[in-house]
Amino acid sequence: MIPALTRTIPLIIGLAVAAVVTIVLCTFIGPAGFGFVSTAPSAADIVGSIRLPRVLAAFFVGASLAVAGAAMQALFRNPMADPYILGTSSGGALGASLAIVFLGGLFVPVFAWAGAVAAILIVWSIAGRKGVISVETLLLTGIAVSFFFSAVVSFLIAVAGENVHQILFWLMGGFWNASPSDAILSACILVPAGLLLFFMGRDLNALSLGEETAAHLGIDATRARWTVLGASTLLVAGAVSIAGSIGFVGLVIPHIARMLLGPDNRVVIPACILAGGILLVISDTITRTFLSDLPVGIITAFIGAPFFIWLIHKRGETL
Amino acid sequence: MTGQYSINAEDLHAGYGTQDIVKSISCSFSPGTFTGIIGPNGSGKTTLLKAFSRVIPASGILELDGKAVSDFTPAELGMALGFVPQDEGRPFSYTVLQVVLMARYARTSRFAALMPADYARCRRALEDTGVAHLADRSIRTLSGGEWQRVLIARALAQDTNVLLLDEPTSHLDLSHQSDILTLMRDLAASGATIIGVFHDLNLAALYCDRLIMIKNGQMVADGTPDKVLTPEKIREVYSAEVVTSCHPATGRTFLMPVTAINGNVSPLKSLNVQVISGGGSGSGLLYFLTGRGLSVSAGILATTDTDYITAKALEIPCIPVLPFSQIPVHSLEKLKAMLAQADRVVLSVHPVGAGNLPVLLALRDMDPARIIIHLPEGREFASYDFAKGTAAAAYQDLCAAGARCTTSYVGILGLLLTASS
Repeated sequence: MIPALTRTIPLIIGLAVAAVVTIVLCTFIGPAGFGFVSTAPSAADIVGSIRLPRVLAAFFVGASLAVAGAAMQALFRNPMADPYILGTSSGGALGASLAIVFLGGLFVPVFAWAGAVAAILIVWSIAGRKGVISVETLLLTGIAVSFFFSAVVSFLIAVAGENVHQILFWLMGGFWNASPSDAILSACILVPAGLLLFFMGRDLNALSLGEETAAHLGIDATRARWTVLGASTLLVAGAVSIAGSIGFVGLVIPHIARMLLGPDNRVVIPACILAGGILLVISDTITRTFLSDLPVGIITAFIGAPFFIWLIHKRGETL
Repeated sequence: MTGQYSINAEDLHAGYGTQDIVKSISCSFSPGTFTGIIGPNGSGKTTLLKAFSRVIPASGILELDGKAVSDFTPAELGMALGFVPQDEGRPFSYTVLQVVLMARYARTSRFAALMPADYARCRRALEDTGVAHLADRSIRTLSGGEWQRVLIARALAQDTNVLLLDEPTSHLDLSHQSDILTLMRDLAASGATIIGVFHDLNLAALYCDRLIMIKNGQMVADGTPDKVLTPEKIREVYSAEVVTSCHPATGRTFLMPVTAINGNVSPLKSLNVQVISGGGSGSGLLYFLTGRGLSVSAGILATTDTDYITAKALEIPCIPVLPFSQIPVHSLEKLKAMLAQADRVVLSVHPVGAGNLPVLLALRDMDPARIIIHLPEGREFASYDFAKGTAAAAYQDLCAAGARCTTSYVGILGLLLTASS
């Protein structure tokens, strides 16, 4: 790994610099068109109270989704896993839809958060009934619960009347209402959970070869599994409550990180935090500046997918 | 036995869910031993191994180095016991070295980096299993055998006193099988406790000091390979017919399966075949005919003759005589009686001198139509004659009288079939 480090450390430092530059640049770009230097009194207001919280929230949410995605893929030993795989997004969507339809849009974030956490708790209690459970059982239960919640959301959309538009926009995700408290909240989740997952990097490495293997290598596999799931759930539920269910970031950023840096999670986790944040900040800046604030989930896939395909083409099959 | 057991299990039960797969197994393993666990598919070998390593819940007493396994922390267990699985999924492209370095996790704080010594240890393990040249390769590009050797290297790099191997050679070619098992035997000789699950009983017998045979989750035999690998036990546990012997080159027990016979299908089942051979000419033939379900008997054989050893191993009746001596008259009379009873006689052409010429001459007295002569392709009777032409002449006479000749075992079978119908 000595040769790997010579590659890894510059890349991580480069990503960190890119993240700072992205945050600063994007804070000064927007439909109101303020440049770096402005003396108008309203400029400081817009930058400080509207754009900065939104940029930071986007960064933290993107980071949360990417890091949770990386953790889920390692835990489920499946590169196709995404952070929503256990039903967090459909649970969040159900909570949000209920708030939109029955409470006229009040408490949407709270309901979304509760829905996301409830989905995971339901999955755990169903899959965990017989004591020892395999991650495969967990995965299948998550998919089943996801589909069930999605069906309920579809039903709500069908009967929602004039609220349909609001639900659909929520489902695609965005930062229209990002407030300073959102930025602070997401940071408060990301920092401890991200650090926890970073320091569990080697547990994730071992788990990605199988729970029995992890146990044979001296890892407390069961405790590691539940810790990873718990941290990921908090990250994803927080992200969902702030920005709805934004796709693509959590699935693809971990892949890109592994393609560039290899699959060692002690490197992938920090890389995902930085790259996930950068992708979402740029995507959000594009939509709010040029595309009249379309749902950001559309943009992440729109710019992320071609990049991903280019990377696959260039690197061949390496996960 | 003074000293401490590396692993001590008493009344161990283990399984998945509510069903016990391992039922009340008690056994202990001392440092410096290489034990093989054998048994048919689904008998609980792997479950037993995983019960030892605590990844499958087990009840009963289980001690590691004299201390209850439940008192070990996961990291302590990772330093005390290494495990080589049959196979392991490879969803991500770790390099070989990265995977082997995971062996050192248990010895390093999660907040610290691995030391150069850890790298050196892992590279040495890769060298020991012959995969050092693959260190920087992605594990997803390895063959099954290369991957298996990487998994073994990882367990070695854990530096544990106990090593559990689940079919460690299942994906390996012949030379790597012996390399890996020799390595394990050497490790045991230097004080490690090695326990392996084996399907290849001959490999197990060759390398292990001790074999434990299990069936339906219960121990049915425990001891040295020659005590455990008896035809009776194999029949009982595997429902297979084997012959066992002491291998002339290794001195270790080895066994060969005898082809299972479907008695209802074989049209030759009730045919009595008398084989006349000598000097090792009949070994393959006796095995071949027995495997086809025939009732085979052998002729007069010196006790040093390979044919005699084969006949003993296959439990084929024969008339033993002392080597390098005249055939006693009563033995010859006995042979004549057997010839009279046989449906067919297969004469495997063999070297004939003055000593065993009487056997050949005895054949002249019987109906030549009942005699089948097996002469290997490209050979002549003359090259088997050590009796100044009389032996070759005797062979020729049998042919002339109407005995049928063939050059192959299948040819013999064909002649037996036409004769029997």
